[in-house]
Amino acid sequence: MVQLFWGSVVILFGGVILGLIYQGVDRKLAARMQARIGPPIVQPFRDIKKLLVKENIVPENAIPWIYNGAPFLALAAVVTVLFYLPLGDQRPLFSGYGDLILVLYLLALPAVALAIGGFASGSPYAVIGAQREIVMMMSYELPLAAAIVALAWRLDRALPGITAFSLKEIAAHPIWAYLGPLGFIGAILLVGVLLLVMPAELSKIPFDIAEAETELAGGVTVEYSGRNLALLRIADAVKTVVMGALILALFFPYRLGGVLGLAGAAGGVVDTVFFLVKLFLIILIAVTIVRVAAARLKVSQVAYSFWVPLTGVALAGLVLIVLDGLFFM
Amino acid sequence: MARVTDERTYYTIPIGPTHPSLKEPLQFAFDLEGERVVDVEIKPGWNHRGVEVLGMKRNPLQTLYLAERICGICSVSHLIAFSRAVENALGIPVPPRAEYIRVIIAELERIHSHILWAGVAAHELGFDTLLHLTWRVREQVMDILELLTGNRVNYALVTIGGVRRDITKEQEPLVRQALRYYKDLLEMLVDAFLHDPTIELRTRDVGVLSYKDALELMAVGPTARASGVKKDIRVDQPYLAYPALELSPITPDLFRPEIHGDVYDKIIVRLLEIEQAIGLIEQALAKMPEGEIGHATKEEMTELLVQIKEREGEGIGRHEAPRGELFHYIRFQADSEIPILWKVKCPTYSNLMSYRPMFQGAQIADIPIIIACIDPCIACMDRVIVRRDGREEVWTAEQLLAKSWEKTRRLKG
Amino acid sequence: MILAQIIEQLFKKPATNKFPAKYMPKSIISFLKSGKPIVPPVPTPPRFRGKLIYHRDKCVGCEQCGRVCPANVIQFVPQEKKVRFYLARCTFCGQCTDICPADAIEMSNEFLLADYNKYSKNLVLE
Repeated sequence: MVQLFWGSVVILFGGVILGLIYQGVDRKLAARMQARIGPPIVQPFRDIKKLLVKENIVPENAIPWIYNGAPFLALAAVVTVLFYLPLGDQRPLFSGYGDLILVLYLLALPAVALAIGGFASGSPYAVIGAQREIVMMMSYELPLAAAIVALAWRLDRALPGITAFSLKEIAAHPIWAYLGPLGFIGAILLVGVLLLVMPAELSKIPFDIAEAETELAGGVTVEYSGRNLALLRIADAVKTVVMGALILALFFPYRLGGVLGLAGAAGGVVDTVFFLVKLFLIILIAVTIVRVAAARLKVSQVAYSFWVPLTGVALAGLVLIVLDGLFFM
Repeated sequence: MARVTDERTYYTIPIGPTHPSLKEPLQFAFDLEGERVVDVEIKPGWNHRGVEVLGMKRNPLQTLYLAERICGICSVSHLIAFSRAVENALGIPVPPRAEYIRVIIAELERIHSHILWAGVAAHELGFDTLLHLTWRVREQVMDILELLTGNRVNYALVTIGGVRRDITKEQEPLVRQALRYYKDLLEMLVDAFLHDPTIELRTRDVGVLSYKDALELMAVGPTARASGVKKDIRVDQPYLAYPALELSPITPDLFRPEIHGDVYDKIIVRLLEIEQAIGLIEQALAKMPEGEIGHATKEEMTELLVQIKEREGEGIGRHEAPRGELFHYIRFQADSEIPILWKVKCPTYSNLMSYRPMFQGAQIADIPIIIACIDPCIACMDRVIVRRDGREEVWTAEQLLAKSWEKTRRLKG
Repeated sequence: MILAQIIEQLFKKPATNKFPAKYMPKSIISFLKSGKPIVPPVPTPPRFRGKLIYHRDKCVGCEQCGRVCPANVIQFVPQEKKVRFYLARCTFCGQCTDICPADAIEMSNEFLLADYNKYSKNLVLE
């Protein structure tokens, strides 16, 4: 019990710090890609510090308890996901029978919280942003779910008897070893889908329509300030780590320590560093480069591209993996 | 916020006077149905600076530098139009070399203005990388302008009866070098803007201004040309050294088969005009005659002031600024070096009306790029709203016409 | 494609001129006063229109500069038959240097003139 408590404290603060560091790195790299110097890597910490000492303004026609509660809900949800994910060389803190399903729902929660907070803040910009947030959420949930279900089903088929929806088991048995040629193509398609779902989940350009600086002046977060905004920022940063770690756990749970024949503390350090590098690469590919190299899409275009082409690709991946499971056993 | 009309509920969302998508204050009130714009009301009047009144308190030599500060981006356009108005009013000749130099500076300015616009448009679309890219490459032409005129933004180059600085033999190769740089760059810009999938998604069939609307609403400049209206003061009523140069209005059908009049077409027109401007500068450099530049010496300048004081007359100056036709009117009385009337009509003023057809049927997400697509320059065009007893009066076209008839009659005496 | 540009740029130096220091110092004023080396601004070309230089001995007190100055920078001091420049208002058009019959006004390439006090020593030329 004591171990669980300290573990969760470490993961909570570690996740927040890691998220903010990755945000700093992301901002720095994006700046360098645009030939700017960019802020120092510690800038997100300074932003949060400043926001925390600022006044927390609640607009006159907002519903205060919902408005103030939404950021807490968003942060709590993403941090809870962190407890279920294998990080570094550690096994996940909590683990159960269907934690992948739980993660799926918890990932939807910050978006819901943000939308509720937007509706409750009583600004027309925030209301439009909240509507868009809901549309976005409905768009990317299906491809995400398809990818996760396909993976779990295939693993269950390959290794009957394990709890396939447990992230611990998925991370312990990398999927690629059990796939035939068809399944391999399907899994690559699913990785691609998840890499595109990631910026949508994180509301980054080209999918930042809910915040859309030049259109809605910040959209759902337009009225937020002070502590509430700091919480939303932290939730956003942690969510980046969560999404990255989720993709890693699903598809690339490899470790270096075992390969190099290291054990104990040395193996742990190597594994952690390797995990951080993998996380960095995922964030670089799925967030930084995408957001630097694209224009913001319209909400109808986002809905279309997720509902039709991306869902199509995800379902194709699913079907390929199913066929693989049926015929290449 | 909700308003019920015709049994339908529209939501009104205000944009402006301060909003991230606006670079200058202007207010819009959008009637929305979901994400779709039903109608728009435009309320200018937040940035009126009374420049014309200031100009009616100074002599033209002083007003030159005031005129170029009407707009920071098309500053030499205002200078050219203003000095042409004064020259027309007072009959002051301009030597041919000065006219060529004016053309060169005006076209350099067109390059920098269009590149700047491209960056702003990319920013409105959320594509900040292109904003940083375009503004970075824009530095080259700013440096050339600084080299030729002595300052990056307010060139102070054109004066009444000529230009103040010559383009020397040493400067010419540097200008040519910069032109080569932009020629090489243009391909990359066209690729980055016109072949980018996300930009195509966001700009095609967005903000459509039909040929008919462009004609009826008197759109000018690239806004009109993107709808296929071949309208260009440099061609229609040639002035300066433009008659000697090869030039035809740029329309989007040079790049793609059909003219749609959407934002994509406006990007095409502006990018092609950069190419055209490069060609014009090269022609002008090649054809530029030797000789006077019309810059008055110290004694002549005093003489010029005396002339301005003695003569009377009225004149107009028109110039195809990067945003469209710019128009200056000035009127002098005898025995006064201070004009009794100075009127400026900026291209944005003509283009403002074309917002309405462009916005109708657009989505909220299209609002920033449609606002940006006419390249608005609010400070140039802003007019005052007269408030009496706390209420605003909005005059209809008929009332305005009646007022102007009344004024004409009064002036005729 | 813009992607190639972006990746290429990642390994190039940023285009920003780090003036006056790479990152914003805690206090700009104390940073500038401390005499630490600053990163120089972008160089200006010849014949740049910068801060005015006034050759008081050459001035004949004809008041021509005041007549053409668009911003009323120039005040005539009748007792001495000289002029005084309030540079906080100057628009750097160079019209006064053009018209001065005695070549008493010149333009330098100095342009870092920001000041809290518009009547500071640096901004009033006599």
